Amino acid sequence: MEEVPRVPGETVKAVAKDVMYLCPFTGAVSGTLTVTDYKLYFKSLERDPPFVLDVNLGVISRVETISMQIGENNRGIEIVCKDMRNPRFAYKEEQSKLEIFETLTKHAFPLSNNLPLFAFLYKETFPEDGWKVYDPVAEYKRQGLPNESWTISKINSNFEVCDTYPAMLVVPTSIKDEELRKVASFRAKHRIPVLSWIHPESQATIVRCSQPLVGPSDRRCKEDERYLQTILDANAQSHKLTIFDARQSSVADTNKAKDGGYESESFYPNVELNFLEIPNIHVMRESLRKLREVVYPSIDEAHWLSGVDSTHWLEYIRLLLAGAVRVADKLECGKTSVVVHCSDGWDRTAQLTSLAMLMLDSYYRTLRGFQVLLEKEWISFGHRFAARLGHGDENHANSERSPLFVQFVDCVWQMTRQFPSAFEFNELFLITILDHLYSCLFGTFLYNSEQEREVHSKTVSLWSYVNNHTEDFTNPFYVNYENHVIYPVASLRHLELWVSYYVRWNPRMRPQMPVHQNLKELLVLRTELQKKVEELQRDVASSRSVSSSSDHGPSPSHTSTPLYTTV
Amino acid sequence: MLDGHRFICPVAGTCCESDRNLYWTDPPFPSGVGLGLGNSLPCFSSSCRSGRHIRLPSSFDRMEFAELIKTPRVDGVVLHRPFMPTVEGTLCLTGHHLILSSRQDNTEELWLLHSNIDSIEKRFVGSLGTIIVKCKDLRIIQLDIPGMEECLNIASSIEALSTLDSVSLMYPFFYRPMFEVVEDGWNMFLPEEAFKEIEFLTDEWRLSGVNKDFTVCPSYPQLVTVPRSIDDDTLRKVATFRHGGRFPVLSYYHKKNGMVMMRAGQPLTGTNGRRCKEDEKLINTTLRAGKRGYIIDTRAVNVAQQAKARGGGFEQEASYPQWRRIHKAIERSSILQESLIKLVEACNDQSQSMDRWLSKLEASNWQTHVKEILTTACLAAQCIDREGASVLVHGTEGTDSTLQVTSLAQIILDPSCRTMRGFQSLVEREWLQAGHPFQQRCAQSAYSNSKARSEAPVFLLFLDCVWQVLRQFPCSFQFNEHFLVVLFEHAYASQFGTFLGNNAAERLKLKLPQKTVSLWSWINRSQEMDHFLNPLYEPNNLVIWPSVAPQSLLLWEGVFLRWNRSSKYLDEAYDEMVHIIEYNKELQSKVNALRRQLAQLETGDGLLETP
Repeated sequence: MEEVPRVPGETVKAVAKDVMYLCPFTGAVSGTLTVTDYKLYFKSLERDPPFVLDVNLGVISRVETISMQIGENNRGIEIVCKDMRNPRFAYKEEQSKLEIFETLTKHAFPLSNNLPLFAFLYKETFPEDGWKVYDPVAEYKRQGLPNESWTISKINSNFEVCDTYPAMLVVPTSIKDEELRKVASFRAKHRIPVLSWIHPESQATIVRCSQPLVGPSDRRCKEDERYLQTILDANAQSHKLTIFDARQSSVADTNKAKDGGYESESFYPNVELNFLEIPNIHVMRESLRKLREVVYPSIDEAHWLSGVDSTHWLEYIRLLLAGAVRVADKLECGKTSVVVHCSDGWDRTAQLTSLAMLMLDSYYRTLRGFQVLLEKEWISFGHRFAARLGHGDENHANSERSPLFVQFVDCVWQMTRQFPSAFEFNELFLITILDHLYSCLFGTFLYNSEQEREVHSKTVSLWSYVNNHTEDFTNPFYVNYENHVIYPVASLRHLELWVSYYVRWNPRMRPQMPVHQNLKELLVLRTELQKKVEELQRDVASSRSVSSSSDHGPSPSHTSTPLYTTV
Repeated sequence: MLDGHRFICPVAGTCCESDRNLYWTDPPFPSGVGLGLGNSLPCFSSSCRSGRHIRLPSSFDRMEFAELIKTPRVDGVVLHRPFMPTVEGTLCLTGHHLILSSRQDNTEELWLLHSNIDSIEKRFVGSLGTIIVKCKDLRIIQLDIPGMEECLNIASSIEALSTLDSVSLMYPFFYRPMFEVVEDGWNMFLPEEAFKEIEFLTDEWRLSGVNKDFTVCPSYPQLVTVPRSIDDDTLRKVATFRHGGRFPVLSYYHKKNGMVMMRAGQPLTGTNGRRCKEDEKLINTTLRAGKRGYIIDTRAVNVAQQAKARGGGFEQEASYPQWRRIHKAIERSSILQESLIKLVEACNDQSQSMDRWLSKLEASNWQTHVKEILTTACLAAQCIDREGASVLVHGTEGTDSTLQVTSLAQIILDPSCRTMRGFQSLVEREWLQAGHPFQQRCAQSAYSNSKARSEAPVFLLFLDCVWQVLRQFPCSFQFNEHFLVVLFEHAYASQFGTFLGNNAAERLKLKLPQKTVSLWSWINRSQEMDHFLNPLYEPNNLVIWPSVAPQSLLLWEGVFLRWNRSSKYLDEAYDEMVHIIEYNKELQSKVNALRRQLAQLETGDGLLETP
């Protein structure tokens, strides 16, 4: 029997013949289903070319039995995936079939079955180690840090001050460690304000943190107040500090009752507080759930646009982009330092700071720079990937789940559409990131914080793979807009549903003509030709020297026909 | 009063070649636009190096316009445009243009054809008046004019000049090209020439001159292609049985299998099911023995039924047993016009509560019309290419939805229609000669206040559909999006005569070929052509089947959001692509040259081997 294609380290766990895949687009088809510890692989020879369905197990959110009766097939199963599809299978009640779906469930949720995530079994090697892409010291150095106002603090090197923060933090030079500890006790989850990005000219900074623990009694913290004043003072260009609280103001008030809250402008002089009115993770989860209903499997053609509208997905994308534009604009035009927080400072805060940084700093718009941005703002600063995505966990109804990172990547895609030459990477790169967000093939997005993450030696980084295939992920139109700040238009009219991601399973979405292939070929051709020109120039030069040394001058009268006309 | 009618010379040096720049500055150098007393007009622009004097055409009838221009010139006018810095300068009205010039070097001037103005609005704050000018190309500009009287005068002048009734007063009759017409667009796509190609492939068709005096069918050209076995007398009889005399004529011949697409007006069956033997004979002769054909009626069944009461109708099965009739539901022109107005309203809605944008877009139904037209075109193409059957397409008059379907079907089927020339030829054949009433349909656009008479964005919808296909097959078209946008603009307001008149008869009467310049004469100059060529083009000889799924159809931002966005970054990406392609070509020729050089060196000394 023909073997299924496997990645290094992948083993076949079960095979069953005569399973029927109920394709929502092209109808039912029978074939062989293989389950490995990494994927399910269905192949049918009934069609020409053979029909193949390849779904990695990491993407599975839940497996459900459904009632079914198609001929002999009296059992049915629906596999609900995190990437907007839910393939269904029908099969006859037989030992081998029952077993394979049991195996599937077991390996789809390894953590619930005392099995390792596949990333720990994956044995591929790449020439470059992607874990080395992000070096915080190098990145801060690139930003010109430390400088006289800001220092790299080792206070959290054992994750003692804040267990969800990275070991290395950039804080104001004049703040002593004891003060930092006091500030930490006044901030939710001890996530103190730290520098994310500094403007190379104005020295205005993006600072991120969690909400202050003001509580219903309007608690104050002198150290926190002084701390923010120091951040303000570090920027000579402005005598204001702007706080962007990502939350809806009503929610921030509710949080106050629950011991959280926000900075009172009367206790923090020179501080201006703005709410960005972005709803919470539960609203976003619900929005994407609705979007899935609109796009998969079938589309209500008559109500396509209003259907998309009713999910509010694009509205939230707009809110995020508009918020990030405000942050970026405050820094760039207002030359004012900005503090961004939400409740815990690991969801909306990460979305806003990273989007603003993409707008402000062209480095993050390169293939490498974007990896650094994700490693820094998302992974090292404790976006809770494990909790938000629920890798390997069968508990799909967990309220911690939320597609915040997907939403961020969607915002990036919207920006690439408005600035097609400003980004070194292409759409495939963004889709690849989202695919491996769930796949559990790489260690990159597996954990909640830097502390939890001891995966470097045991897993492969997604960037090892990406940086070994850069030509696939390069945008041919890239023009380095160095030092350009790009402000996307955050108006719904200029946003578009990312159909090539959300609706990609629908065969009617397949590009009619893969233009990216043409574009890629253009680049390949360019490189080839450049090489050829160099080679030939060398050859001509050496040929000249040979001929001149042997006294055979070239005969200009001799007209030779070109040897080749194409490369 | 005429003293003030000084003609402004646009910044010298840029003016002559600026025909292609039809955006903000739109100075298709208008020789003889101005209204002056003498035959030559002084320039007031200090930057006008040559002090060029313009000669007025002898036929120029100044008084026609002079009476309409109440205030020819106002200083201190401020122009506001989205994404552009405001400009303060002098506003001038000429017979055909609204011009705003800051009279400074290197600043763009605004040249706006009066015929491009769809409607205006006036507002006053104290003595400062504001005129909002809404254009047929969908842009909106604002002019702040000091002085209430000046403002009112300017407004009423613009209103009068932008709604001239007489076609012969239109700008194309006054425009003199500043380029040499190398190839006259008026002679480029003659029916005789098009027929030669068909004659080469088959002898089943002939060119008939039955309509040479436009009496058989006023909206057809003088020459039409009809089955060889049908004589002119029969055609005359058939014409009496078809709406507007539009008897079935050949629209497209599919080389691959010899199947044809014909188009016509609706049959005049009326309520009592009138028949016409000659009509039946005509269309039956186009069928191969034992084969069936398809009649695609672009109207829904109930609409076609209702047409009977007004003397129209559709082909009954009993009379046309060899034909299968399929009804599709492309909306009538008045509904399309409403749809355009709603769409543009939604696109221009500046209110912050844009949360229902997509719903508003959907409610405009524009995308539904695009989908319906494309679907019908695909159906026609499918019948011909996949079913191997001949097709007859008609709606009511056969001058709107019918042409959308026949022309799009050809784009799907025939690779030559996807070339620059081929597409021009298609527009010429299937729209201009086929009698789409451009003059009526494009009299107003989305901002019209007056009640629509027969305005409808039929041609714009066709261009939108072409854009959708182009977007799905970005390498299969020799032309680019810009070309389609330019066609849209020129259909509504132009210095060229191509889209004037409603049919061939009117064009002949207006003597357009003698008195105006053809749009094609300008587009096909190599200097202009470069802007319209698609750098990714690779000839694709296949039939291209577009996806008509709603998620595959997008809003045509290049037209509908064009003035609401800055296209700087999109243009830069496009330029970068062109740059890479050009650079690759350069490298390729360098490689060739070096190889030649190397070969010479080698044959010269005979020591080295070929690499």
